[in-house]
Amino acid sequence: MKDKLNKMLEKYPAAVFKNRKEHIIVKEADSEQPQSITANTRTVPGIITNRGCCYAGCKGVVLGPLRDAVVLTHGPIGCGYYTWGTRRNKGRTEGDELNLLNYCFSTDLQEGDIVFGGEKKLRQAITEAVEIFKPKSIMICSTCPVGLIGDDINAVANWAQKEYGIQVLAFSCEGYKGVSQSGGHHIANNGLIKHIIGTGERAVGKYSINLLGEYNIGGDGWEIERVLKKIGYDIVSVMTGNGTVEELKNAHMAQLNVVQCHRSINYIGEMMQTKYGTDWIKVNFIGIKSTMKSLRDMAVYFDDPDLMARTEEVIAEEFSEIAPIMEEYKKICQGKTAALFVGGSRAHHYQLLLEDLGVETVLAGYEFAHRDDYEGREVLSTIKEDADSKNIESLDIEPDSTHYRVVLSQERLEKIKDQIPLNYYEGMMKQMKNGSLVVDDLNHFETEELLKILKPDIFCSGIKDKYVAHKAGIFSKQLHSYDYSGPYAGFKGAVNFARDIAMGITTPSWKYVIPPWKTQPMLEGSLIGGK
Amino acid sequence: MKNRNFVNLNINPCKMCMPIGAVTAFKGIENSMFLLHGSQGCSTYIRRHMASHYNEPIDIASSSLNEKGTVFGGESNLKKGLKNVLKQYTPDVVAVATTCLAETIGEDIQRLTQEFIVEEGLENVKIIPISTPGYGGTEFEGYYAALTQIVKEVAVEKSESNGLINIIAASLSPGDIRNIKDILTAFGIGYVLLPDISDTLDAPYTDEYRRIPSGGTKLRDIEKMTGAVATIEMGMTVPSHISPGQYLLEKFNVPFHKCAVPIGIENTDKFIRLLSSISQKPIPQSLKSERGRLLDGMIDSHKYNSEGRAVLYGDPELVYAASKLCMENGIKPVLIATGTQSNVLRELLKGPEDDYSEEPNIIDDTDFETIQRYAKEFNANIIIGNSDGKVITEKEGIPLVRFGFPIHDRVGGQRLVYTGYTGTQKFLDDITNTLLEEKYTKYRKSMYKKYFNPSEDKKALQEEFCNKLEIARKTMTHPCYSKGACKNARMHIPVAPACNISCNYCNRKFDCVNESRPGVTSEVLTPEEAAKKFVEVKSKINNLKVLGIAGPGDALANFKNTKKSIELIKEIDPDVTFCLSTNGLMLPFHAEELISLGVTHITITINAIDPEIGAKIYKEVNFMGMKLEGVDAAALLIKNQLKGLRYLSSRGVVCKVNIVMIKGINDTHIEEVVKEVKKCGAFISNIMPLIPAKGSAFENLPLTNNKELNELRKKCEIDLKQMYHCKQCRADAIGMLSEDISQEFSQAKCGGGCSEKTKTKDEKAYTFAVATRTGVAIDQHFGHAEEFYIFKYSNSEIKFVEKRLVSKYCTGEEHCDDEDSKIDRIVKAVNGCNAVLVLRIGYRPSKILQDKGIVVVQTCGRVEDAIKTAVKDLETVKELAQAVD
Repeated sequence: MKDKLNKMLEKYPAAVFKNRKEHIIVKEADSEQPQSITANTRTVPGIITNRGCCYAGCKGVVLGPLRDAVVLTHGPIGCGYYTWGTRRNKGRTEGDELNLLNYCFSTDLQEGDIVFGGEKKLRQAITEAVEIFKPKSIMICSTCPVGLIGDDINAVANWAQKEYGIQVLAFSCEGYKGVSQSGGHHIANNGLIKHIIGTGERAVGKYSINLLGEYNIGGDGWEIERVLKKIGYDIVSVMTGNGTVEELKNAHMAQLNVVQCHRSINYIGEMMQTKYGTDWIKVNFIGIKSTMKSLRDMAVYFDDPDLMARTEEVIAEEFSEIAPIMEEYKKICQGKTAALFVGGSRAHHYQLLLEDLGVETVLAGYEFAHRDDYEGREVLSTIKEDADSKNIESLDIEPDSTHYRVVLSQERLEKIKDQIPLNYYEGMMKQMKNGSLVVDDLNHFETEELLKILKPDIFCSGIKDKYVAHKAGIFSKQLHSYDYSGPYAGFKGAVNFARDIAMGITTPSWKYVIPPWKTQPMLEGSLIGGK
Repeated sequence: MKNRNFVNLNINPCKMCMPIGAVTAFKGIENSMFLLHGSQGCSTYIRRHMASHYNEPIDIASSSLNEKGTVFGGESNLKKGLKNVLKQYTPDVVAVATTCLAETIGEDIQRLTQEFIVEEGLENVKIIPISTPGYGGTEFEGYYAALTQIVKEVAVEKSESNGLINIIAASLSPGDIRNIKDILTAFGIGYVLLPDISDTLDAPYTDEYRRIPSGGTKLRDIEKMTGAVATIEMGMTVPSHISPGQYLLEKFNVPFHKCAVPIGIENTDKFIRLLSSISQKPIPQSLKSERGRLLDGMIDSHKYNSEGRAVLYGDPELVYAASKLCMENGIKPVLIATGTQSNVLRELLKGPEDDYSEEPNIIDDTDFETIQRYAKEFNANIIIGNSDGKVITEKEGIPLVRFGFPIHDRVGGQRLVYTGYTGTQKFLDDITNTLLEEKYTKYRKSMYKKYFNPSEDKKALQEEFCNKLEIARKTMTHPCYSKGACKNARMHIPVAPACNISCNYCNRKFDCVNESRPGVTSEVLTPEEAAKKFVEVKSKINNLKVLGIAGPGDALANFKNTKKSIELIKEIDPDVTFCLSTNGLMLPFHAEELISLGVTHITITINAIDPEIGAKIYKEVNFMGMKLEGVDAAALLIKNQLKGLRYLSSRGVVCKVNIVMIKGINDTHIEEVVKEVKKCGAFISNIMPLIPAKGSAFENLPLTNNKELNELRKKCEIDLKQMYHCKQCRADAIGMLSEDISQEFSQAKCGGGCSEKTKTKDEKAYTFAVATRTGVAIDQHFGHAEEFYIFKYSNSEIKFVEKRLVSKYCTGEEHCDDEDSKIDRIVKAVNGCNAVLVLRIGYRPSKILQDKGIVVVQTCGRVEDAIKTAVKDLETVKELAQAVD
């Protein structure tokens, strides 16, 4: 395998070879030292990365799913346009509540605005947005040129807040900040904890939780909520799938944070622990076994026999409903292999669901993850801050004088620490099989090459590399948008996923499209150009 | 017409940015690669967006500029990026396009790329820098600017004449580009097609994956463009500074022909004729046949198309062509919109040859929020454009025919063929079928609704029912119509002084509180004063539910005032019940307007239906300038009364018919009257006893007692509901029926000048029995009074003498007549008085008192004032008596 990898990397110029080498490792279970990967570093220019920008992480990922806020893109039209309804984060309003999810708002800056400044236009755009939608909150997200022409969006936000008596937040998430969308997540997290969380006072129920890092793609959040509510949890807020600013205000009232997507939201988890004393546990509701484990871990935290009994009851009920049909799908999928390249958590989460189906993951990689997402949070202290991570603000959080409280005693915490992932994420790599590949920031070229080397049956990624897999005769499943399917989370979602995978690999069309390696030996030498 | 709902806020953009257009253009160049100089998000977004339309891998490199780059410049990133692109892809040509970021920090890509070529010693690779700031325009400008830049960079020398035709393609689907090539091949024309995305963005499946798909316009072919016989550019809306054809004309004298995208029969004809005339080749038979079939198809489907009301949007060039297709097929383009700034589009489509009835509305620089609003406003039934318009389909239910870029929610956008005769036919069929599908899905429903489903009728019935309920509610709360509503107050506004008939029982020349009967008022108000008074009264009486106009003349003889008053008061209190009373003469003329004014209750006084009898009651009738008398007058009046009554009743107005019972004149006729008005739809009738007003013709007619009255009411009750509780109110009555408090609100308190003659002779002493609870105001009904205050008047002085207690004489009208003995008691109590001053009194007791020589004065207000007035009255009576003697 290593030889093959080297062969692939040799096609790079020397500097790139050196760089990319650090981002690719073969899992060695018996390695003496824990294996380390390079992640969250600058993208190699010209390499056709799949990464997005800071704005994408802030506006597209974290703020986008809030359905009661006008998320206003301050910049030229493209950025707003390209993030308009493309992430399939579903939302459902109640009653005559305002639903802003399917809208795109942009200040549509023109050349003159770039030359003379766009603040005036931003102010007027806010006025217009208030006039027509009367929203309770507005979130301004800036794009590349805004940071350079010196528009003070914070001042505009302050002005608008006073002028219209609504909450107006400014997010300086210019695309060039950081090395990927990850910086944008952090900026969005900072804004939410600084200005929104902790401003509400809703009375909470017995087992109150926040669901963090669940963006309700294809309705995942709804399926998770259904099960949690069935058990009896009071979900105070969801960050941020089908979420509202109004809900977020009360997040500090919840007793526990459960974190689904570690990468995009761990900042809030951590900051809420410091500020309000709220513990967080890492959960994974993708996959049947992992959903069961997550539910049990939550019950352990609350240490309540009733809750535990109810959890087992619901698990039994839900599982018995899906078990027979999953068995059928498993027969089809068993023994297949998959390559996963997605997100900052999904490439880990989906390994477990695929495992439920008897599918082995031979490659997994993240687009924009940090080392802790691969290796576990224990490496956090060893990650050196570089120039790029330094320019994303890291907040100094102090315990909140009124809302800080101790939920569980130190004694109890110590006791359950080893049972459940309390304030801890183990990362993706520990669970992976020996000899499987871990690749950070997989690019177009490597995708092609690795597909040839690994010959997986299933390639799970996004739309940009989906067609590369198709051209190579490999079934591909989009794990960003689910190819207009879903939900895939929880028990019932697992069935949907199993159905889609089984259907995907058994479609008769594949008979007419046979991957080259199945008919002829691997081609050696340089790639075919277009001449 | 506004381009956008909002000037500064773009809601749901109908445009993309320049770089994506430039990418599309470059993807049509053979073995080319594209590098976006900026932050990597731009390239990622554009890749994902194009991939969703073309279903192909879209390789766009990025220089991945970061914060450091914004400070120190992006040179090193750009060069590194270029190196990697060259190494991995070995392209012949690389486009380096700027983004918002690169432009804002002022990257000089011209210099940087030149340097790079020199540094790397590149010989076989062309690097084309192009400036495409996201804020500089839309995908439309990006596309043509990129094509122009390619021509400028590649076609640098005049090549020898080669007989080729340059075809500059608009941003069409790969399928359409293939179709254009097929047309050119059918002609057997040598051509250079720029750009050619037919294979590059819709690559066939092959065993081997090619990182840069084969196909595209060859660089050496672009070089030949300078020696072509002509350029045909699909670019009617393209500004000349980004027109490759214009450039080739100016720089190399290549004849330049602009044409529209060949969509629609006219546009295709022009394109085909251009090809034929430039190439000197005949139009191939295959194309002629295709054209014939298109014509045949256009005629066959025209009847369905004529129902189309289309909204078109997108790239101005595509929108222009598709609009023409709609127009030539009778589909009305109710809105033609583009997100690009384009004045040309408006000019082009507002030609004089318009043969459609409705002018299309053309807007540019718009967004979908605006398009959606207009689509709804203009009753569009079809939208034609890219997938982004689905927001309108989702919200307004208008079906969408997908055309243009991007089509990301359906498959096959890259394969659509809408150009040429066959493509036009397909496009038209798709539009027609969408209209038909819409029609068929809704046809049964609409037919059913129209002819079978009673729901519409039901709705009307329901509305009528609701209306009736509302009126019934108002009737319930109207004190004059429902006895149970006597807790509710009413207010009569005296705004109608004139009368158009003259009744023998009426004398309206008196203005005196001592008269309490219809036609009497202390003051006449203007509508404005009436409204003012209403506000005042309303503030003091919270149960004021009814506003009536009862004269003092006839409400309809003063229709202007009546109308104005109602309008003014309706504005103040829309919930008040409006009623009016009329003699009915003008009713057929004003009935409709009364209904629309919201008058729900109308009282018509119909004393007879036999003109012979009527002639005895009515002295004269003034009708539209004619003065009628006798039977003629009565006949006209009766005819109009009944006509009006019938109409009002049929429209749901609650009508009450007042009948004055005049002994010896109509008392035996009343039953007939009731029967007739019942037929005409009257709700209730109110038979009232004649009040022989002084000075009226019937002054000396006998009075009717309650017994006779109630007997007649009972008889008539078999036919129609009867009213037993009428108090025969004054024209300015205010308050509950039992308690007229109008004097509290009177502008001019009645004090003197009540009679025609005010001169007083030598004054005598009079004794008055006053029905009052407190001794201050006259506030008691004669029958209800438990005690009488006795006052003595002499030498202009009023002195209280004593209180005389009486047991209750009457507890209700039904019993009045049965307890004769009680009269005696009261009569005893007031014995020796010259007059009795009461708020109200029954007719029988009144008669008894009068027989005893005791004058009965019905009045209200302060005791002292009333006595003074009564004295004057007594003097007058005496005088009159003396005169008669």
